[in-house]
Amino acid sequence: MPAGPPPLAPPLKIVDLAKSVPGGRLLFSNLALDMAPGEIVAIMGESGVGKSTLLNLVAGLDRADAGRIEIDGVDLSSLDDDARTGLRRDRIGFVFQAFHILPHLTLAQNVALPLILARRPEAEALKAAATMLDQVGLGGRGQDFPAQVSGGEMQRIALARALVHRPALVLADEPTGNLDPQTADVILALLCDQLRGSGAAAVIVTHSERAAAAADRVLTLTAHGLVAHGR
Amino acid sequence: MIHRRIFAGLLAANLILLAGRSQAQDRAGAPVFAPVRPGRPLSFPANHGAHPDFRTEWWYVTGWLQAQGQPIGFQITFFRIRTGADTRNPSAFAPTQVIFAHAAISDPAVGRLIHAQRIARAGFGLAQAKVGDMDLVLDDWRLRRAPDGTLKARAGDQAFALDLSLAPTQPPLLQGQQGYSRKGPRPDQASYYYSLPHLKVSGALTREGRRIAVTGEAWMDQEWSSTLLDARAVGWDWAGINLDDGGALTAFQVRDEQGQAVWAGGSLRGADGRTTIFGPGDVRFVTRRHWRSPRTGARYPIARDIQVRTPGGPRVWRLEPLFDDQELDSRPVGPVYWEGAVRTDGGRGYLELTGYDAPLAL
Amino acid sequence: MVLGEWRAQPGRTLAAILAIAVGVGLGLAIHLVNRSALDEFAGAIRSVSGAADLQVQAASPLGFDEGLYPVLARLDGVATASPVVELRARTASGEPLTLLGLAPLRAAAVTPNLVGGGAVSGDGGVTTAEAVFDLDAITLSPAALQQSGLRVGDQVRLSAAGQSASFRIVGNLDGVSGDRALGVIDIAAAQWRFDQLGRLQRLDLRLSPGVDRTAVERAVQAALPAEAALVTPQSEMRRTESLSRAYRVNLQMLALVALLTGGFLVYSAQSLSVTRRRPQFALLRVLGLPARGMLGQVLIEGVVLGLAGAALGVALGVALAELALRLLGGDLGGGYFRGGRPPLVFTPVAAAIIFGLGVAIAVLGSLFPALQAERIPAAVALKTGSGESAETAGQPLPWISLGLLAAGGLAALGPPVGGVPLFGYGAIALILAGGVGAMPWLARGLLGPLRRLRAPAPPVALAIARLWGAPRQAAVALCGIVASTSLMVAMAVMVTSFRGSVEDWLIQILPADIYMRLDPGLTLDSEAQARLAAAPEAAAIEFRQSFNLRLRPDRPPVQVSARGQASTGAGEGLPLVGRQIRPEGLPVWISEPMARLYDLSPGDPLALPIGPGAQAQVTVAGVWRDYSNQFGALILDQAAYTALTDDAGRAEAAITLAPGVEPEEAIEAFRVRLPPSIAPGADFAEPREIRAVALRIFDRSFAVTYALEAISILVGLAGVATTFSAQTLARRKEFGMLRHVGVRRGQIMQMLATEGALLGAVGALAGLTLGVIMSQVLIHVVNPQSFNWTMETRLPWPLLATLAVVLVATSAGAAVLAGRGAVADSAVCAVREDW
Repeated sequence: MPAGPPPLAPPLKIVDLAKSVPGGRLLFSNLALDMAPGEIVAIMGESGVGKSTLLNLVAGLDRADAGRIEIDGVDLSSLDDDARTGLRRDRIGFVFQAFHILPHLTLAQNVALPLILARRPEAEALKAAATMLDQVGLGGRGQDFPAQVSGGEMQRIALARALVHRPALVLADEPTGNLDPQTADVILALLCDQLRGSGAAAVIVTHSERAAAAADRVLTLTAHGLVAHGR
Repeated sequence: MIHRRIFAGLLAANLILLAGRSQAQDRAGAPVFAPVRPGRPLSFPANHGAHPDFRTEWWYVTGWLQAQGQPIGFQITFFRIRTGADTRNPSAFAPTQVIFAHAAISDPAVGRLIHAQRIARAGFGLAQAKVGDMDLVLDDWRLRRAPDGTLKARAGDQAFALDLSLAPTQPPLLQGQQGYSRKGPRPDQASYYYSLPHLKVSGALTREGRRIAVTGEAWMDQEWSSTLLDARAVGWDWAGINLDDGGALTAFQVRDEQGQAVWAGGSLRGADGRTTIFGPGDVRFVTRRHWRSPRTGARYPIARDIQVRTPGGPRVWRLEPLFDDQELDSRPVGPVYWEGAVRTDGGRGYLELTGYDAPLAL
Repeated sequence: MVLGEWRAQPGRTLAAILAIAVGVGLGLAIHLVNRSALDEFAGAIRSVSGAADLQVQAASPLGFDEGLYPVLARLDGVATASPVVELRARTASGEPLTLLGLAPLRAAAVTPNLVGGGAVSGDGGVTTAEAVFDLDAITLSPAALQQSGLRVGDQVRLSAAGQSASFRIVGNLDGVSGDRALGVIDIAAAQWRFDQLGRLQRLDLRLSPGVDRTAVERAVQAALPAEAALVTPQSEMRRTESLSRAYRVNLQMLALVALLTGGFLVYSAQSLSVTRRRPQFALLRVLGLPARGMLGQVLIEGVVLGLAGAALGVALGVALAELALRLLGGDLGGGYFRGGRPPLVFTPVAAAIIFGLGVAIAVLGSLFPALQAERIPAAVALKTGSGESAETAGQPLPWISLGLLAAGGLAALGPPVGGVPLFGYGAIALILAGGVGAMPWLARGLLGPLRRLRAPAPPVALAIARLWGAPRQAAVALCGIVASTSLMVAMAVMVTSFRGSVEDWLIQILPADIYMRLDPGLTLDSEAQARLAAAPEAAAIEFRQSFNLRLRPDRPPVQVSARGQASTGAGEGLPLVGRQIRPEGLPVWISEPMARLYDLSPGDPLALPIGPGAQAQVTVAGVWRDYSNQFGALILDQAAYTALTDDAGRAEAAITLAPGVEPEEAIEAFRVRLPPSIAPGADFAEPREIRAVALRIFDRSFAVTYALEAISILVGLAGVATTFSAQTLARRKEFGMLRHVGVRRGQIMQMLATEGALLGAVGALAGLTLGVIMSQVLIHVVNPQSFNWTMETRLPWPLLATLAVVLVATSAGAAVLAGRGAVADSAVCAVREDW
């Protein structure tokens, strides 16, 4: 699939970000990240260091103590909840470790969810979903229900859903965490493939070195911010 | 013997029947009671029957039985009471006459009386005192005179039952002046009174379901009156003794609060049939021994000497009870009194002592 | 682990426990109240009957010949017979009183409690002893003294049987307990003063100790004329019970229905809990717990829930019963027992049974979830890690439900069992179970068309998709409320139909302008009747005489009315049901309950214990609808009645006014024309008032029914709320995901509200439909079988509409309330929570 015109602004720009947990312990400060369009960044780190919190902050689901996050050049702090929701809906795609596919919707409906939420005409949404399902290798199974598919297939659906609305940024939290190594490799390859195909930038939080190896850049989250992996 | 019987009778109907209704005389429909007057000779069998115009009447049978060789005293009594109820009431239930009956046995082996009683208003053939000949019915209790002159008596309950034939062996003994028997200083304080001594008894005594054949000798009093005792009277003593020689002794006294005789009387019929009637000065009751009831606390003079004056000179009968505790508690329908089998040299009979538990206010 | 689960879900657990408690509590309360009332009632009967071993009662107030007294008194085995004249009397101030004429010396042996204190019962009772044989004396029960405000020593004037006489109060009947207004006079005075010469109403018998009771009963029975009947304490008790049994059984069943609702709520709670714990159970399976263990664990939870609920319910029941007795009296507003507030009687056996039932229902409610837990495939559950079970997308099959519904239909055709429509109630239970079981299928069927909506707002689309995709979850949420709603609807439809039919019937049965009724015991003789009839205010007067006649010893008496004018027959104007015939013999018209109770139809012969030989031969000419007497009523021509019984007295009149006469002035005129001794005891009423009173009584007697239903609806709604909140909590991850992919918080609330409203609508529709079906069982099976009357169906549209709206609104509200916590920011992170 041809890539769209590269966006003018960086898909994600983080400046001087600081966040403490409710108890007061500082998770990190002075965190900065500047991503190029289409860039895939893997973030690693110890458990509890705040990887998921970072993703929530980026998604606009949590508020930072200090610093700034811009997505597509839009400062999240200037947006109210509804606007942030709208931004997520239009510009961000999500992949979760536990898939989170709605059991009562068909595969096509699940994939089309972001488009339906954006009030695209249903026919168009389902057509786009069918195309996406094709691309993740589940062509023709749009009318199936989630109960009828395997774990690996679930994550393929999740990938399709994350990309169906052509987001600028995909946030993936341990996307292979629930999969066996073989399936994980396949899914990882598919993810990168699709990301590069769509031109979306992506932040992948992972423990897996193999997953990290697929990224353009690998960073480690520490209390002092993001540092290059291995250093 | 107006005595006991009156008291039992009066109280049987709870006093009010006689006493409480004196004001009833003023009301319309109040009964008019027949008076007792001398000079009206008794005739039989008509006078064995009831006299419903009079206020109170009783048939009083007492005697000694031989049961398996052991002596047992017994009494069976029927009372008829005419109430103060409105005579105009046409209802078949109108309580103009009430029948009360009472039975007891004195068994030395038991050491106290066993007794039973019944009471009902007359009517429907369930309770009746027949006029014309002796026929008394109170449910399954009965006292009647058979055509051959024998008295048939049936009474009792769960604990004991008497079923007796009482055959007269002598003509009726008319007390007082040919059956007109005075009970007090006023001539109207009197009753009609006759006795049937020396009744030959046969029959059965059933105790707790066991029927034993019995024989013996008994005494029957029938007495009817409309009059109250004297105002001073608090009780009386009475004795009726079948003498072994065929004679019969009757003695009674009406006592005042001090224990003095307000009136006294009686009779002695010899074996030859000659009868002496006693006046107030002819009879004395002398106490030898008292017995105190552990239940009521009443103190009864149960061992007496009866002293009488006869044309042949004074005579004394020394009475001994069959056993001490022959107190009869007939509450709630009657009084507490002592009614016991007694024996004397040459005779056996019954002694009745009333008004010792509490002075009877009449 | 059980405790842990409950600690995690306190609200839902509590709701399930409460639901069981409410069911058990209501059931026990109703039982206790009835038991207490019956005991009180039986006690009242005992205190009037004394403690007689056997009792012979007159078939009618006219009594029987006193010649029976010596006959029975002489029977072998009868120790004592106590003759009794029993009359209904009034004091001068109008207080009603049961007046007994006794032979005290007989009564003392048979019914000592009826003989004035001390008369024959001890020492020194001389004052009260005056009562014995004093024909002007009366002893009054404490209640009678209190009611009339009189004291011992006062004179009291009593009227009974149209006569009146004055008595001196000489004592207090301490032996008569409770609130029974009773006076005792001498039997001879009663016969003489109240015109009862030669008649008795009762004979109390004491048997000799140790006799063969049945042999004596047989002998007594053989000696009885038709105008008297043998009554044993047992048959009296039966009669007492049969008075209110149908009403009692109905209430009891309703209480059990509340319990059933509780069972459905337990099912909801346990289903959800099992679903939520799928991974946990899966883990346990993997760790080596056998499948049976899962089953056992869930069932044990059911037992614990049931025990807690039932224990709470017993306490609640006792408290409720106490309260109800205090507020409503012993009949719970049913109008079966008069006066008084009976003391609470606790019956441990019944409490134990209801307790057990509560536990059983809880276990039953846990059975399906337990089976579900047993079948959890460990691997899949572990892998998906989803709290919400993935439902198969296939069509839910309604076969089992259809089977249950069909079985319900068949059961409705069954006969009554011992006078109780057990099959009818069984039918209702089956229909309910079938209906609730069909809920998933119904939900999908109803929601199907909505899926084709053109471009609905995303929250609506999501809601529809979820409900359509997860109908079983919808059913779990709804079963309690569907059960309680349908039962309320069934009851409401039945009551509305009943009320409507009663209203129509009242109009039909009361065609005259004014009705006059005399107090018990009062009658108008022919002369007084002629005087009334001659009043210019009256265009026509129909005089009537009513009395109770016992046709069978263990049945309550039927009401006999002699009525009809010379010109028209007695059957004129009756609301006849079915055909009417013109019989050869003396015609009578019987009420519907009588037709059913005595199995009579037009043309059947019948012997009435009245008239010469107390054996009047009559023929049923027609059957009429009657709601006023559930034990039967009979109408015969008044001329024929007079000819039969010589009783020309009449105690009632239906008056048609001359044109232009106002009812008030007419009533005044009639009152003046009544004999002075009777005028104060005459009540005049216009049909309008009678209708109002009748409907008021009607509404009061159903008030408790409504209250019970409302409670079970509340329980059902509480169930919906807790289930929603549980389901919503279980869907936190779903909401988190939705929030991630761009659903606004408000949209999630909209989605939940839509889900709630749709569920409510489905529940309302299902509840209404089921309810109307069940109402037909109530109307055509339960009512005819328990009360012996029929009615026509009427639907209470406003109530049904309100119910539907309330259901939709409360479910939507409950869903939104439940959703508030689940969409908070902190909750959004739940997507990353691990299990």
